[in-house]
Amino acid sequence: MFLRLIENGGYITLVNYDINKTGKKVTISTDKIKRIFLEFKRDYQLWIMVLPAIIVIFIFNYIPMYGIQLAFREYDFTKGIVGGKWVGLKYFKQFINSYQFERLIRNTLAISISSILVGFPAPIILALLFNQVKNQRYKKVLQTTVYLPHFISTTVMVGLLVVLLSPNTGIIGKMLRLFGLDDVNLLGNTSTFVPVYVLSDVWQHAGWGSIIYLAALSSVDPQLYDAAKVDGASKWRMIWHIDIPSLVPTMVILFILSMGGILSTGFEKVYLMQNGLNITVSEVIATYVYKIGLLSNQYSYSAAIGFFNTVINFSFLVITNWVARKIGNISLF
Amino acid sequence: MLSLSKGKSLSDVLFDAIVYLLCALIFLVIAYPVYFVVIASISDANLVAQGHVTIFPKGVSLFGYQKVFEDERIWIGYRNTIIYTILGTTFSMILTLPAAYSLSRPEFRARRFIMFFFAFTMFFNGGLIPTYILIKNLGLDNTIWVFVIPFAVNVYNLIVTRSFFENSIPKELYESATLDGCSHFRFFTSIVLPLSNAIISVIALYYIVAKWNDFFTGLIYIRDKNLVPLQLVLRDILIANQVFKEGVGLGGEAGGYAQRYADAVKYAIIIVSTLPVIVFYPFVQKYFEKGVMIGAIKG
Amino acid sequence: MKKYLAVIMIISILMLLTVGCTGNRTNESETGGKSGTEQSESSTIDGKAGTEQSKSSTTDKVTLTAIAVTHSLTKDIDTMTHIKKMEEAAGVTVQWEQVRSGWGEQKSVLLASGDVPDLFVGWAINDADFSQYPGLFQPLNELIEKFAPNVQKMFADHPELKQLSTHSDGNIYGLPRYQRFWPRNMIRQMINKEWLDKLNLEVPTTWDELYNVLKAFKTRDPNGNGQADEIPMDWAPGTGSFNATVMLSGYGIVAAFGDGTGWYVEDGKVKNYFVDERYKELVQFLHKCYKEGLVNPEVFTQDYTKYQALGRGTDEVPLVGFTFGWEPYDRVGAKWAPQYITIPPLKPYADYDGPVYWDYNYYGLNYGANHIVMTTKCENKEAAMRFMDQFYDPINGMQVLFGALGECIADNGDGTYKVLPPQDPQMDPGTWKWTNTLADAGPMYISDSLNLTLGSDMQALAEYDKVYKPYLDAIDVDNDVWPGPFIKFSQEDNSEMSLLWADLSNLINSHYAKWITEGGVEAEWDSYIKEMNNAGLPRAIEIRQKYYDEYKAKQ
Repeated sequence: MFLRLIENGGYITLVNYDINKTGKKVTISTDKIKRIFLEFKRDYQLWIMVLPAIIVIFIFNYIPMYGIQLAFREYDFTKGIVGGKWVGLKYFKQFINSYQFERLIRNTLAISISSILVGFPAPIILALLFNQVKNQRYKKVLQTTVYLPHFISTTVMVGLLVVLLSPNTGIIGKMLRLFGLDDVNLLGNTSTFVPVYVLSDVWQHAGWGSIIYLAALSSVDPQLYDAAKVDGASKWRMIWHIDIPSLVPTMVILFILSMGGILSTGFEKVYLMQNGLNITVSEVIATYVYKIGLLSNQYSYSAAIGFFNTVINFSFLVITNWVARKIGNISLF
Repeated sequence: MLSLSKGKSLSDVLFDAIVYLLCALIFLVIAYPVYFVVIASISDANLVAQGHVTIFPKGVSLFGYQKVFEDERIWIGYRNTIIYTILGTTFSMILTLPAAYSLSRPEFRARRFIMFFFAFTMFFNGGLIPTYILIKNLGLDNTIWVFVIPFAVNVYNLIVTRSFFENSIPKELYESATLDGCSHFRFFTSIVLPLSNAIISVIALYYIVAKWNDFFTGLIYIRDKNLVPLQLVLRDILIANQVFKEGVGLGGEAGGYAQRYADAVKYAIIIVSTLPVIVFYPFVQKYFEKGVMIGAIKG
Repeated sequence: MKKYLAVIMIISILMLLTVGCTGNRTNESETGGKSGTEQSESSTIDGKAGTEQSKSSTTDKVTLTAIAVTHSLTKDIDTMTHIKKMEEAAGVTVQWEQVRSGWGEQKSVLLASGDVPDLFVGWAINDADFSQYPGLFQPLNELIEKFAPNVQKMFADHPELKQLSTHSDGNIYGLPRYQRFWPRNMIRQMINKEWLDKLNLEVPTTWDELYNVLKAFKTRDPNGNGQADEIPMDWAPGTGSFNATVMLSGYGIVAAFGDGTGWYVEDGKVKNYFVDERYKELVQFLHKCYKEGLVNPEVFTQDYTKYQALGRGTDEVPLVGFTFGWEPYDRVGAKWAPQYITIPPLKPYADYDGPVYWDYNYYGLNYGANHIVMTTKCENKEAAMRFMDQFYDPINGMQVLFGALGECIADNGDGTYKVLPPQDPQMDPGTWKWTNTLADAGPMYISDSLNLTLGSDMQALAEYDKVYKPYLDAIDVDNDVWPGPFIKFSQEDNSEMSLLWADLSNLINSHYAKWITEGGVEAEWDSYIKEMNNAGLPRAIEIRQKYYDEYKAKQ
């Protein structure tokens, strides 16, 4: 994948490729070199604009990347971070064969897929809804309020859940009792853990997530609405034919990015919500890595689990990106 | 707007009613935890934990705030975090916006490769220890620059910005601009930026909030007491006031008092650390209404 | 415009290059040049012991750097007069860096990159670190012989402290704490005596009697507010501290129940009570109570904050009848503590004639390893050793634990001492201690000859503990106690144990919670044991047994 992309995107590689492969098409190559030169001359300003970001990312993200080797080596302090014995896939095998592997993957996927299914559309719907509010003052108050819960720390949010969902004293617990669900303890139930986790996340972050969509909606050309009104379109039709299409590019990009998190769940919230009654569904990769490191540092093992995660996440991103490019001609790269 | 209202159909009126109703409902549901944090921060922590504080504060006391503000480090923390946020956001914006513009130009052949180069780092990284060693060798640790330079480009923000530039800057604009001999620099500064107030303010908000809430950079790279960011100070105060699970050594007549209100600290801390950021939001919001300009320029 | 943008670009690139490449420190105006020495350039680690030359720079005072990991309440070490005096006595100046939170995250970065100070103090370093970072920590054996008379005396008086400090490779890397005065048990079970009296009930002595008492608490409104808001029984979340598992001690199991791992020793054999038949019976009993509403229905889902808040009751009435904690003041607050008494362990049934014990955690509460550690990066090892030795002077040790003489401790002038009540009336003695000194986090040695009158909190604790004395005295410490801090696992074993434990603890937690809330322990017990075995319990026992046998052989 990597190589192919370099070939497609990086022009220079393509030239070498041609020379090596065919040998004789020198004329084409010189044409290409000329074109590169011309293009560079044309685009040099673009290069200058992107260069500072490239430098920063290169220095602070690419230079330390030698550390990835740790996943394939035995950590040995005396020989430096990556000087330990090469053990290949030992730690990956250890993880895949570990007692809880299947359960960890299953639990992690259950949480992240539900989070995407519910958490992805929620901010879009909120933004579309708020965009319909015409009273400016009301709209402002609304927007300012819904983004505030984002700032509540995870610890407090989980503490709040404990208070609200308490079957004895919590508001929600009491409401459930009204509906005759007496013995339901939402926090101590294998079937309610994922819904509680996901919905409380949406509750807390959907407003914050809607900001970007509101920004996108604000750049819609007002003439479109005027034209639609002249045609007598209903509000529903305007949302469907003007608002949503204007959000599609942002939606697709954010969707691709969220698919790149398919094996990631927040650590802190899951960990804080864990208890003996839900541990069978609430142990995820992130909490497992934390626990194995509690008594002793498992640098190599946790690096390997991290790398395993990353590879799967990245594959999902690349696949989603490819599909999005084929279907909608929108993509990250 | 008024002139249009007379042409409202029944379905549109109904539609508006539903919108307002839903918004009111969402407002209540989403505003509640915020309201709860506010009342919990001034209530008796025992009553909060027992679930008695739901609509009105009970056993009102300002113990939480008193604990937070009696620690003089908090002012150092505020000062530092404000400096880091302003410098960091400025630098990040200077890197992100032009890069996003470059990558949004369809004729820029290298853009897909560069995007890949960026996106790759969202997933693969060398881990904390190699990064620490690098930053230490560069002499950035224990300086304010560690908050500004190393993590200046947030690839997520870069991608969102690029996508926005791609889709909301009309293609005809650049074509007509080049006919007038306009360079990329010029086009970017005098046309793209003024047209992109909405995304610029959103991305700035993203950066501001991330830098404001960042405690990890401080935890790992800062050793000097005078450079500690607000979030670290608050974390120390929070931990010092927790209900001690170990219990060992605590107790006695006054211990009961301290424990009773200690938990209020965790709510007070949220208010203390969030209020300053909320101040930024109206500035951001202002620009959401300015999408009008595109139409104006085009017309 | 074009120019303007170009200027910004150039500035930003330049900024990056200058700061990035020359390592130009723009912020040198720090207090006291604190970071000066600890950031000395090389981060490479060579195993060779550094030469013992004194630092060239200063006059004749040696400057040491130290990271101290303390309790979050503890004030700046720079302001502790007794520590200052110890520095003077050793002829050193210590530049302290104090970590109150987040050490876990910082530690691996500092150690793995070799960016360490001369000394670590407090809860900083554990045995596993010595194996994981060979060459980073200084073996002290020779230095102690040459420069540390107090440490030598401590080792002579208490040979077990030497054993505690000796790593599996035979070297001493860290020095211990020994605080002598602390009780043998960490957990106390308490019951509301006023409720008992009001309902004309006796203090329960068996599980069945407890059941009847709880039943009465539930149905007969002992707090008298006309509401059935009483929580007859409550314990802390998880499987660790202040959990109902401590009731197994009445069934003849000796363990430090606070750690929640289930490990214990019986007749020289390492076992785990989570797979013991007696545990099964306890779970059956607790399920019976839970089913009938005698246990807090949120016992597994509440957090510790809520657990403590419920214990404190309302302003009008207490809410919890029977519960577990450090002591009543801590557990139910000052207002209701006088209503509660601690009660002895409960026998499983009336004609049980087996042994009855109580939670035994003497080692954990009184001994600790590696409270002060020297690194090989330390340039003046002699001075550092002399400073370390200061902590083990008996008078200094006392001050490390309780605070400075004159402020927190009174010298009676006749060779006896007394812990003073807090100067701040708002503070309890425990908070006062943690605020003013390193307290239990510090390296110290409280010699057996020291004549010190303890504070009111410790005296009250001794009072509460009287009921446990016969049961603790009955324990055969040599054959029935897991010698916690004295066991030094090798790196491989430690690593294997932590992987095994990540799986085992999940099985234990989930079954414990499920069986008590839903029942089913009878039917599922065998498959549970099988699962535990599949997840590696026999291997974990084997490892522990090996170390226990080695330990016994050395006795």
